[in-house]
Amino acid sequence: MARVRRPGTRWWVGAVGLVGLCVAAEVQPAYSQQSVSVRAALVKGTLPTDDPTAAVWATAAVSEFPMSPQVHWPVRITEVTAKSVKVRGLHDGTNVAILLEYSDPSEDPEDAAALEFMVGDTKAHFAHGQPMAQVQGGPVNIWYWKNKDGKGVDMGAKGFGTLKPHAHQDVKAKGVFQDGVWKVVFSRPLHTEYLEEDTQFKPGEFASIAFAIWDGKKTDSGQPKEKGSEKAISSWWYFRADAPPDYSPYMYAVLAVALALGFELVLVRRLKKGS
Amino acid sequence: MGGVLVRPIVLTVLIYLFLKFIVPILPHSAPLPSSLIFLYLMLTTAGIVIFETLSGASKDAFFGPIFRFLTGESGGALSSARYLVLALFPLLVGWQTYGSTASSDAPPAENRTIHPAPPGEYTGLSNPVPKTPENIMYGKGLYASRCSPCHGNFDGKGFAASGFTPPPANFKDPTTIAMLQESYLFWRIKRGGVGLPVEGMPWKSAMPRWELELSDEDIWKVIMGEYDGAGQKPRTWDESE
Repeated sequence: MARVRRPGTRWWVGAVGLVGLCVAAEVQPAYSQQSVSVRAALVKGTLPTDDPTAAVWATAAVSEFPMSPQVHWPVRITEVTAKSVKVRGLHDGTNVAILLEYSDPSEDPEDAAALEFMVGDTKAHFAHGQPMAQVQGGPVNIWYWKNKDGKGVDMGAKGFGTLKPHAHQDVKAKGVFQDGVWKVVFSRPLHTEYLEEDTQFKPGEFASIAFAIWDGKKTDSGQPKEKGSEKAISSWWYFRADAPPDYSPYMYAVLAVALALGFELVLVRRLKKGS
Repeated sequence: MGGVLVRPIVLTVLIYLFLKFIVPILPHSAPLPSSLIFLYLMLTTAGIVIFETLSGASKDAFFGPIFRFLTGESGGALSSARYLVLALFPLLVGWQTYGSTASSDAPPAENRTIHPAPPGEYTGLSNPVPKTPENIMYGKGLYASRCSPCHGNFDGKGFAASGFTPPPANFKDPTTIAMLQESYLFWRIKRGGVGLPVEGMPWKSAMPRWELELSDEDIWKVIMGEYDGAGQKPRTWDESE
């Protein structure tokens, strides 16, 4: 005798649960900005290239990176003032501006900060692009600012002792010291004509970035506390200028929904015909 | 209806729970990537379908409830569930399509090999320095002045470590120097981060090239000091064979 079972609801609850579990297994958790990268949002209007305190900076995503004393090569330093640096970025499709913010108890003429980038597609060592034994390394592009100079310097290096300013200068920088905090904004066109010397920013693509900070406070010897290779540094992190909004994924999703609905309709009709 | 489907569903759920929650707590195990769990569930589903459709009768028994559900012949509460499934499926497809076509905020994946193969001339070298208390102490002294700023008290937590990525090695961790031969450490200390091959991402390593500042003999002594200070023993040829 055939066993008769009353249609229950438990099994389809289980099926829905199973679908949910599969989806949960497949879906990646949303990426959180755990300060592995700096994101420069695309903005309309004037870029605050000469104003580190502009209100628009408050709208930029902030990333924070730890800083270490430079111990990689002599002359080393064992204690530095800057323990971390907060970084924000903005771009307008033509120029990019990057804001550094870090603590420093005093404003001194020798206070300085720098950004470092790889040039082109060739990887470069974070310490001034020093040569690597088994890998052909590339040069680095360094944007340097010193308080007493009040301007940005566009520099290049490929190994220790090779750091020098470029013949062309297209980096601007301005620093403002307030309440024990330096805010320094660097800016430059996203693209330049010096492909062999300058890093080029392609919106939507990740580039490597590193930071350096010098506390120029004078010690009893009359020398700055941090100078030259005696500085606070980071190794490579990531930087990305946002690409313009792309709505095509929404269009593809709508198309996929329509196709899936059509598939369902055809399937159900065929099954009904078959039965 | 549906009784024939309960067993496959329960089996699939149990396998998911095992992969998601049990596997990570097994000894020497780690959480499985979501993509791998999804792949295992797909393989499980394929296996169930094959098993349940080996004969014509079993095929009808397996697909019958599904077909009746999809065509709305099941009736009762299942009609509501049918509409739910028919609505959810296109949404799920649309969601997956969006996820695979939208640009990601995640930086490029980095597949760094932590212990890449050393150049041939560094393979199998034995420490020529006698393992005396004096030499070990001397090596520890060099370690304290040259290595501890980053590697700390042999735990990778030196005061200069925080800004570097990848972080300095923790020598007390059994997966670092305890599984390496002394010759490997000799290579890494002597040539530093810039001596790494491409898979070791030499452009990110802050390890100095100590051959410029220390003699080979001093490097061998540092190695002895490291193993002694970390409470580890180097891997030997006998153990590796």
